[in-house]
Amino acid sequence: MTKAPYEPIQKVCVIGAGVMGAGIAAHAANAGADVILLDVVEDAAANAVQKMLKTQPAPLMHPSFAKRITPGTLDNIGHVEDCDWIIEAVIERLDVKKELYRQLAPKMKPGAVLSSNTSTIPLSQLVEGMAVETRPYFLITHFFNPPRYMRLLEIVTGAHTDSFASARIQDFADRAMGKSIVHCKDTPGFIANRIGTFWLQCAVTEAIKHGIGIEQADAVLSRPMGVPKTGVFGLLDLVGLDLMPHILNSFKTTLPDGDAFHALGDAPELLAKMIEDGYTGRKGRGGFYRLNTDDGQKVKEAIDLGTGAYAPAKRPKIEAAEAARKHGPRATLCHDSAEGRYAWSVVSQTLSYAAHLAPQISDHVEAVDRAMRLGYNWKWGPFELIDRIGAEWLERQFTAEGRPVPELLRSAAGRTFYQTDAGQLTYLAYDGRYRPVKRPDGVLLLADIKRQSLPVKHNTSASIWDLGDGVACLEFHSKMNSLNPFILSLMNWSRRELPKRGFKGLVIHNEGRNFSVGANIAMLLITSKLRLWPLIRMIVRYGQRTFGNLKSAPFPVVGAPSGMALGGGCEVLLHCDAIDAHAETYTGLIEAGVGIVPGWGGCKELLSRWSVAKNCPGGPMPPVMKAFETIATAQVSKSAYEAKDMMVLRPGDHVVMNQDRLLAAAKARMLELAKDYIPPTPVDMHLPGPSGATALKLAVRDFINKGVATPHDATIAHELAFVLSGGNTDMLDTVNEAGVLKLERDAIVKLAKTSKTRDRVAHMLKTGKPLRN
Amino acid sequence: MVSPTASPAVPIVIAGFARSPFTVAHKGALARTRPDDIVAQVVRGLLERTHADPALIEDLIMGCAFPEGEQGFNVARLVGFLADLPLHVAGVTVNRFCGSSMQAIHMAAGAMQMGAGEAYICAGVESMSRIPMTGFNPLPHPGLTERMEGAYMGMGETAENVARKYGLGRAEQDSFALASQHKAAAAQAAGHFMDEIVPIKGADGVVAVDGCIREDTTLDALEGLKPAFQEGGTVTAGTASPLTDGASAVLVTTEAFAEREGLKPLAYVKAFAVSGCQPEIMGIGPVGSSQKALKRAGISVDDLDVVELNEAFASQSLASIRDLGLNIDKVNIDGGAIALGHPLGATGARITGKAAQILNRTQGRWALATQCIGGGQGIATVLEGVS
Repeated sequence: MTKAPYEPIQKVCVIGAGVMGAGIAAHAANAGADVILLDVVEDAAANAVQKMLKTQPAPLMHPSFAKRITPGTLDNIGHVEDCDWIIEAVIERLDVKKELYRQLAPKMKPGAVLSSNTSTIPLSQLVEGMAVETRPYFLITHFFNPPRYMRLLEIVTGAHTDSFASARIQDFADRAMGKSIVHCKDTPGFIANRIGTFWLQCAVTEAIKHGIGIEQADAVLSRPMGVPKTGVFGLLDLVGLDLMPHILNSFKTTLPDGDAFHALGDAPELLAKMIEDGYTGRKGRGGFYRLNTDDGQKVKEAIDLGTGAYAPAKRPKIEAAEAARKHGPRATLCHDSAEGRYAWSVVSQTLSYAAHLAPQISDHVEAVDRAMRLGYNWKWGPFELIDRIGAEWLERQFTAEGRPVPELLRSAAGRTFYQTDAGQLTYLAYDGRYRPVKRPDGVLLLADIKRQSLPVKHNTSASIWDLGDGVACLEFHSKMNSLNPFILSLMNWSRRELPKRGFKGLVIHNEGRNFSVGANIAMLLITSKLRLWPLIRMIVRYGQRTFGNLKSAPFPVVGAPSGMALGGGCEVLLHCDAIDAHAETYTGLIEAGVGIVPGWGGCKELLSRWSVAKNCPGGPMPPVMKAFETIATAQVSKSAYEAKDMMVLRPGDHVVMNQDRLLAAAKARMLELAKDYIPPTPVDMHLPGPSGATALKLAVRDFINKGVATPHDATIAHELAFVLSGGNTDMLDTVNEAGVLKLERDAIVKLAKTSKTRDRVAHMLKTGKPLRN
Repeated sequence: MVSPTASPAVPIVIAGFARSPFTVAHKGALARTRPDDIVAQVVRGLLERTHADPALIEDLIMGCAFPEGEQGFNVARLVGFLADLPLHVAGVTVNRFCGSSMQAIHMAAGAMQMGAGEAYICAGVESMSRIPMTGFNPLPHPGLTERMEGAYMGMGETAENVARKYGLGRAEQDSFALASQHKAAAAQAAGHFMDEIVPIKGADGVVAVDGCIREDTTLDALEGLKPAFQEGGTVTAGTASPLTDGASAVLVTTEAFAEREGLKPLAYVKAFAVSGCQPEIMGIGPVGSSQKALKRAGISVDDLDVVELNEAFASQSLASIRDLGLNIDKVNIDGGAIALGHPLGATGARITGKAAQILNRTQGRWALATQCIGGGQGIATVLEGVS
């Protein structure tokens, strides 16, 4: 790899400690940079840093990262002199921004880059009057809220922008901040907000026109269209209603005459009244939805768009929405009902707007789709949605209704916006030809591998793919990637067959929302109801053996999780030789929530990890106490960095910020380990025996006293204490891994015999939430 | 047999008192400083301030409740090295949990009665940041735990038991805690801690000021706290002493030695006692031990001018005050552990030194220093003024 012709970003200054500025500063700290956060208001930056530590979802990936942020005021503007990147996130006023740039320019070190997080002001206006020597180092970097979690970064550069300066920022944003970069043309609102705001405003005005309730509107515009369940009104509540007038006004003044946005009309009067009354959304008294706690109970209420009165929110079963389940989004759009007509009205206008605009605001449709997926969490961008409902059908509908057909849509007639050509994903370019979707250098996606090849082996729940260079990949694809006998059988197959087929090792990875939510516990419920204790013991043992096989395989196994890796999913990782985890990995041994202890080697692995941990005090108890605390409280990491604290990730394991770079990192790691690979030898542990369990039980007693643990929590914790303390061992003896595994099995069977554990399992299966009984 | 009211044959004096600032565990300014380094500086400071000749010290007796990790081995001996005491000065570590460094004073006084030396440094130390309160390897006896619930009972639970047994409500405990904070803040403002505090060069710079006192606390704030140990209970973080890092030391000598060496005694050690009680209500430990010690000194509670009663919890302090019939106006006039902190092993020497110091400051005659001890014990020392 050749060295980049610029130094990596190490120090970042963010100016403006509002919601976005503070969020960007936090995420720059997540990315490992030293950060200066400045604000014109005294103490605003310092307060913002304090607030970061309390905000949920947390802007920081680890509380200790707050130390990387130095707050200050604009009196400290001189501190930018050693910053590599200065991000302006101040009020959306051109004069204020320009004055700030004027002050900043002479203080910036040579090669430092200045960018604006503006969401509305075009680059052309921001650079007007800017010193010629500063212009090459200026660009727009538009983050989405919250900056840690939203993967989209819109970048706008101009002809004047230095390509190295731009590349330097992109490199840091991509690799260190984990952003997916979408290049936008210099137009108002860029891509995501231009289309997203149109969609929101259209959905609001059309709901009033159609006389549709907000619950109905959200029901048809969310899941059926691949949009998060917040839909439109729920999203507006989340964003903050008070922001809407500013955004709408900004578009009103900056969008050209004739833009379809203008035809949508003004924001409803109701909105102004709601804001005036403090109904600014979730941050205020509520918004379109509110929680009424007047009667001591939390009742979700929804506003009537006509009268402004709140009434208990309905959870309507809407046929138009149900139709999409079986027949896809088109079925909703053509549904002959008020909701169907409403959905058609909003979606058709939005798709038309996107198709009409795309060539003006983006280089290609893939950029538009990615922007909407990553900036608004849509499952499908507008052109991906058109492919699902049919470009030709859509064109016919437009024609039938006498509406203009966007040129881009016309060019797709009889075709799709995306197709696979010899295993390569291509998109329909604006010139009417298909071009390959290019991935940034070093990005390896399982989706691309799957397009290009057939699985080496597969069943209904898992597949083995060939990643090239002798690396195999085990992909889970069961419901929620829960672990079942099919997945376990493929693990055992891998152990047996991969070496024979010339593979050097295995990466466990998938591109689902979650790595794995754990073992499928339905089987546990059925078997315990039928009192099939030997069968339960056998199933647990099968899992233990399978994971043990992975660990002792003659080849390295690397786990590459993203999202949730819970229970059994966490146990898979614990048995890997190494983990390359996406920074947004939420992992933990949560078995207590379903009334059991980790039974597929989770207790054993966490114990052995703490036994060799350098930061763990000596003696038999500290590893036991650490493992106990983590498991008994069903602790789940809120990032991969927190998973390191929990020792699910070992100190040498890697955190990968960009999800798209995870598989490549894991593959490289596996190949590195494959050189001179020797499987780990089982660990013998000195465990404290009954005295240790007694100490843990005393701690549980304190939790019971405090009222934070239930009697069944205590029962589970006592079993866990027995397992982790090594049962009836004496501290002078050693307990081998097989011994701890037997204790795990015994504990599970014992707990499965309790009705309260069965209640917990049943409740989890029914509601997806743990029962505290 | 010696009469219970007899004065010590060899008059023993407290000839000096010093301590480190007490700071909140984990977040405080001494959290990152080794406990042996803290107490070594306190021992040095005590010798410098009293001008005692280190060569004449018989032994360094050090109290520590969880003597392991950085306060492990025989920490007293190691602190002797760290404090550059002459090699012939011995060192012993003693453990009676919270009563450890008061026990050190008792051992020194007892030894001197036997003619075993004339001067002792009686110190105490605890870093509750760096050594957890149960130690790193708690291994309670399973059979005993089964048979005797209180043997290893958490201190918070015992404080709730005392509150229940004595009918001590939340309001009473909150008021007591508030008063402790106010008294400590006032004493600090009046400079009453300046003579005793030895600035400590720590891992994060020099620490010269106590870190636990919450001078701004209000009754409203205390009332707003949730019960810390028991659902529906009355004991909160505000009415319990905080986990604390700190060290203390007193110089205990014979009167003759003090006179010969030109030391300035603060008080005589007149009598002392230890006693046991039910572990589930260990907080009333001061009652039995104080009654014994007062009897041995031949005085009654009415004779006391100064009382230092360790405030492990407001509930046990109030219960002990009530049972002993103490005049609350004479108790902890410079604030107690709820405000100042309670570094377990260091507290006994602090409150004994403090009682001697106040006796000297107020020209009083009789003082009592007493504390409860986890596991169900009490310890008490009666001091007599030198004036």
